[in-house]
Amino acid sequence: MSAIKRIFGLLWALMGVGIVPLVIKQAMKEIAAKPSEENWIFWSIVIVVLMPIIAFSLITFGVFALKGEYDTLEDS
Amino acid sequence: MAQNVRDVSTNEQVTSTRRVIAASSVGTLIEWYDFYIFGTLAKIISEQFFPKDNPTAALLATLATFAAGFVVRPFGALFFGRLGDLIGRKYTFLVTLVIMGGSTFAIGLVPGYKTIGFVAPAIVFLLRLLQGLALGGEYGGAATYVAEHSPAGKRGFWTSFIQTTATLGLFLALGVILIVRQAVGVETFGDWGWRIPFILSSLLVAVSVFIRLRMSESPLFVKMKKEGKTSANPLAESFKQKGNLKMVLIALLGATAGQGVVWYTGQFYALSFLQNACNVEFVQSNFIISIALLIGTPFFIVFGSLSDKIGRKYIMMAGMLIAIIAYRPIYSIMYNDANLKNKVEIVEKKVVTVKNAVKGADSLITTITTKAFTDGTTYKETVKAKFPVDPALKAALPKEKLKPETKKEVTLSQDLYYKMIGLVLIQVIFVTMVYGPIAAFLVEIFPTRIRYTSMSLPYHIGNGVFGGLVPLISTRLVEASRPGPGLPPADPLAGLWYPILIAGVSFVIGSLYISNKTNNMDVE
Repeated sequence: MSAIKRIFGLLWALMGVGIVPLVIKQAMKEIAAKPSEENWIFWSIVIVVLMPIIAFSLITFGVFALKGEYDTLEDS
Repeated sequence: MAQNVRDVSTNEQVTSTRRVIAASSVGTLIEWYDFYIFGTLAKIISEQFFPKDNPTAALLATLATFAAGFVVRPFGALFFGRLGDLIGRKYTFLVTLVIMGGSTFAIGLVPGYKTIGFVAPAIVFLLRLLQGLALGGEYGGAATYVAEHSPAGKRGFWTSFIQTTATLGLFLALGVILIVRQAVGVETFGDWGWRIPFILSSLLVAVSVFIRLRMSESPLFVKMKKEGKTSANPLAESFKQKGNLKMVLIALLGATAGQGVVWYTGQFYALSFLQNACNVEFVQSNFIISIALLIGTPFFIVFGSLSDKIGRKYIMMAGMLIAIIAYRPIYSIMYNDANLKNKVEIVEKKVVTVKNAVKGADSLITTITTKAFTDGTTYKETVKAKFPVDPALKAALPKEKLKPETKKEVTLSQDLYYKMIGLVLIQVIFVTMVYGPIAAFLVEIFPTRIRYTSMSLPYHIGNGVFGGLVPLISTRLVEASRPGPGLPPADPLAGLWYPILIAGVSFVIGSLYISNKTNNMDVE
C-alpha cells in the first residue's frame, strides 16, 4: 500500500506542475480569440484563485506522499 | 439510589448537549440564511445598487459575487480560526454572528444607487465582504464547539446537526423570499420588499446572540487554557509544521474539495440546470429544489450517525463515487424529460397573443405563445421586441440592439414534477453522504490547540473555491460546447465534467490516504 501511495504521490506532484502551463496556455488562447470582459474575468479568477491553490496543494501533497509522509496513516 | 443519581446526571448531560447543539446550529443556520439571501436576490440587488451602465459599479457587482466566496471566506477562516484558538470558541463565533447579522441588516437599509449614487454599491460591496469574512469564521467555530462537547462515540451524530444548517439556511432563504414576494406582490418586492428578508435577519440574530451568550466555553478549550497549553501562534503551527500541514492538505484534497463540488452541484447547479437548460418555470423549479432539500435534510443526521459506527471515510467516499457515476445519467433524464422535442403537442391548444404598446419613442411588441402537450406539460414563450417607432432610427440601430428578448417557461406535468423532485433528492442524498460526517472528520484530525484554524481553512477552500466555482466553470463548459454563437450546446451536460473531475481526484486521494479509524478517536 505504501508503494502505491508513493507512486501516486509522484502523479499528484506532476499534475500540480503540469496544470500551470496548461491553464495559462488555454487562457492566452481564449483571450486572444475573444478579448471580452467576460473572458478576462473568468480567466483572472481561474489563474489568480483556482490554479495556485490546485498547483500548490497538489505539488506539496505529492511531495509529502512521495517521501512517505502518509505511509503511517492507519487503514488507508 | 446510585442508579437514580446516575440517571439524573445522564439526563442533565443530554439536556446540556442538546442546548449546545441548538445554540450552535441556530446561529450557523442564520449565518447561512444571511449569506444566501444576497445570492438569491442577486438580480434585484444588482438593479438597485449595481447599474449595468456604470462599469465601476458593474465591476464591484462581480467582485461582490465572487470575492465574498473565494477570497474573503478562507481569509475569515484564518482570521477567526486564529482568534478561536487563542481566546476561545464561544466568543469568536459570537463575534462572527454579530458581524454577519449587522452587515445583513445594514444591506437592507442602504439607499439605492438612484438616491446616493456610487456610495451605494461601495457600501454594499464592503458589507458583502464582511458577510464572507464572518461566514469564514462561523462554521469552524460551531463545528469545533459542538464536537468538543460531544462524547467520542456520538461525535458524528451531534455534529451532523451543524451540517444540516447550510441546506436549511438555503431553504429558509428561498422560503422567506417566496413568502415575502407573495405577500407584498412582485412589483413592490422589486421596489422595496426585497429589503424585508435582510431586515428580518436582525431579529433572528438577536435571538441567536441571546442564546449563545448563555452558553459556556468549550470544556476542552477551558482545560487546555488552564493547563497553559494553548497555541501561541496557531497560524504558524497549523501551516508551517509539516505534521499538521500534511493533514490540512489531505483534508482539502481528499475530502472538502470533492465534498464542495458535490454540495454545489446537488443544490445550486441543479436549480440553475432546471431553470436554464430545461427552462423550467421559476416558481416550479424553486419548489422542486426546496422540497428535495426538505426531504433530504434528515439524511445529514442519518449519515452523520452512521459514520460513528462504520467510520467517516467509507460514507464520504461512497457518496463521492456514486455522485461521479450517477451525475450524467441523472442530468440526462432531467434534460430529456423537460425537452419539448420529446413530447407530443396538442396543436389545437396552441395560443398566440400579440400586444403592441408604444412607450414614448419606443414600440414594444410582445408575442406570447402557449402550447400544451399530451403528457400534461405546458410551455409559454414570451418574445419582447423593442425598437424605435421612427423607421429611420430603427434602421440606424445595429442588429444586436434589435434582437428580441425571449423568455421560455416550461411547466412540467404533475408526474414529471414529482420525478424531478426525486432526481434532485437523489443528488441531495449524495450531498448528505459527503457532508454529514465531514465536521466530525475534520475535528478529529486536528489537535485542540489549533483545531479551529486548521479545520476552517480546508473547509472554506473546499467549499468556497472548489464548490463555489461550480456555477462559473460549469456554465463556461456548456458555452464552450456550442458549435457557434446562438446555437444550442452540443453537450448540455458538459458542465458536469468539472464536479466529476474534482470529485474523482478527491475520491482517489481520499480512498488512498485517509484513515477510516477516526470515529472513536478522542478529541483531546
